[in-house]
Amino acid sequence: MITIKVDMDKCQHYGQCVYEAPNIFKLNENDKLEYLASADETERENVKSASDICPMQAIQVFE
Amino acid sequence: MGGLRTAESLRRYKYPGHIHILGDEWHMPYNRPPLSKSLLAQDQEFAQVSFPIKSADLNTEFTLGDGVRQLSMEQQSVTLQSGKKIQFDFLVAATGLRSKKLVFPNNLQGGRFALRTFDDAKAIRQAVGSGKEVVILGSGFIGLEVAATLKGLGCRVKIVAMEDIPLGLILGEPFGEEIRRRHETKGIEFYLNNRVTDLVGNTAITHVKLVDGQSLTCDIFIEAIGSAANVEWLEGNELDLTDGLLTDSSLRAVKSNGTSVSNLFGVGDIARFPNIRFELPPRRIEHWNIPLESSRRTAREIVRQVVPGSIEGFESEDGFNPLPTFWSDQFEFSILSYGEPRLADEIRLLEGNLGEEFIFAYLREGSLVGVAGIGMKSKINEMRKDIIK
Ligand SMILES: Cc1cc2nc3c(=O)[nH]c(=O)nc-3n(C[C@H](O)[C@H](O)[C@H](O)COP(=O)(O)OP(=O)(O)OC[C@H]3O[C@@H](n4cnc5c(N)ncnc54)[C@H](O)[C@@H]3O)c2cc1C
Ligand code: SF4
Repeated sequence: MITIKVDMDKCQHYGQCVYEAPNIFKLNENDKLEYLASADETERENVKSASDICPMQAIQVFE
Repeated sequence: MGGLRTAESLRRYKYPGHIHILGDEWHMPYNRPPLSKSLLAQDQEFAQVSFPIKSADLNTEFTLGDGVRQLSMEQQSVTLQSGKKIQFDFLVAATGLRSKKLVFPNNLQGGRFALRTFDDAKAIRQAVGSGKEVVILGSGFIGLEVAATLKGLGCRVKIVAMEDIPLGLILGEPFGEEIRRRHETKGIEFYLNNRVTDLVGNTAITHVKLVDGQSLTCDIFIEAIGSAANVEWLEGNELDLTDGLLTDSSLRAVKSNGTSVSNLFGVGDIARFPNIRFELPPRRIEHWNIPLESSRRTAREIVRQVVPGSIEGFESEDGFNPLPTFWSDQFEFSILSYGEPRLADEIRLLEGNLGEEFIFAYLREGSLVGVAGIGMKSKINEMRKDIIK
């Protein structure tokens, strides 16, 4: 299992992470980010890519 | 940024050798976009912008505050400012850009700023305050963002620019006009189709003179007129260094005679690469996602050479074809853009209203080359996949 934490003070809801890990992140109908706080190993690379691509560097991944 | 991301990717792809990052700034790698936004708006520590070193096995040596003075391809070495010499098997050039500065007849420096580094942002932050008279030269993204942020701090802000419409050439005229309208509503004053011809003052600037004869009061003068690539250290190696380091579609440096160098790469803002997605002549792209994607690509090229066959699907890869991605926060609105809107021969308002939230589609010969808008982020994100590949 990996644990995911997004710093919502930093997040600007650009949704770049959604593209990298669509199973974990999504923008809701109000254009606000929603995400799953944990995921299994198969998502590891996607979530890491999302964390890299986040312009605000708001995504932390704990393994 | 490109340097750190290359090291991370090399480790991810199991590069077995030593990695050494050389930087002329004293700081560890950090994120630049907040410099014109949160870091100017609030007192923030370096830790707010530094890139976290995420992996324990990065296993990389850093030499900071000692820039590279000269590359010698013949000796396969770089010489640092301190005189220290370092040999390499592979070299990744990720030295980015520096702000351009003009030379005026009265070339005063007091009260004069540009914005590229953490230290630049700190200096501006220290100088500004409520009631200060700020003149920004340039109405590109950085000029507009700084204007919005400093207005928020209570400064009086004027923008002087050569264009008729801010960002008009990049996002199209209706979009640019709307950005200007929003800034004017907030009290930003524009002097467009104009130019600063001289600075007035004894030691510090008190006024700037415009080409149309006007004189503007000015405590703080910020030049945001674009950037020049840091390529001087690459000179003397028969490389093509016109506006950045020319690379092929695998990001390998190209010599003036057209041949590629197999162990020298360009990553990030400095790389002038052909983007096969748009079949353009090679061009630099100053967007944040480029150091990220070009460093991954470069790491794969290096690992391909060092440990052939180590990763599936590695041996045959198409040319580098990133989708340029850009965002910009100004006042309470944010712009999101994918692709190359400036290539369009036709611009269509796809959804929404200019005064509120909207999306433009940018077409070239009927194909989608870009999408950009204000607000409507999830819709814009959905459309990125429709841009030509
Ligand atoms: C104020 C500001 C706001 C921005 N906002 C956005 C935004 O909202 N959205 C977006 O998409 N992009 C934005 N960008 C662009 C984005 O930050 C850049 O595209 C990105 O930083 C480029 O990374 P890089 O690694 O190529 O270069 P850099 O991050 O500039 O790193 C290059 C490093 O090399 C060092 N160096 C230079 N010469 C030498 C030498 N001879 N020897 C050793 N080291 C050297 C430099 O000092 C620097 O530390 C912004 C940029 C700035 C300046
Ligand atoms: S990429 Fe970062 S800023 Fe954008 S929505 Fe995801 S977490 Fe938020």
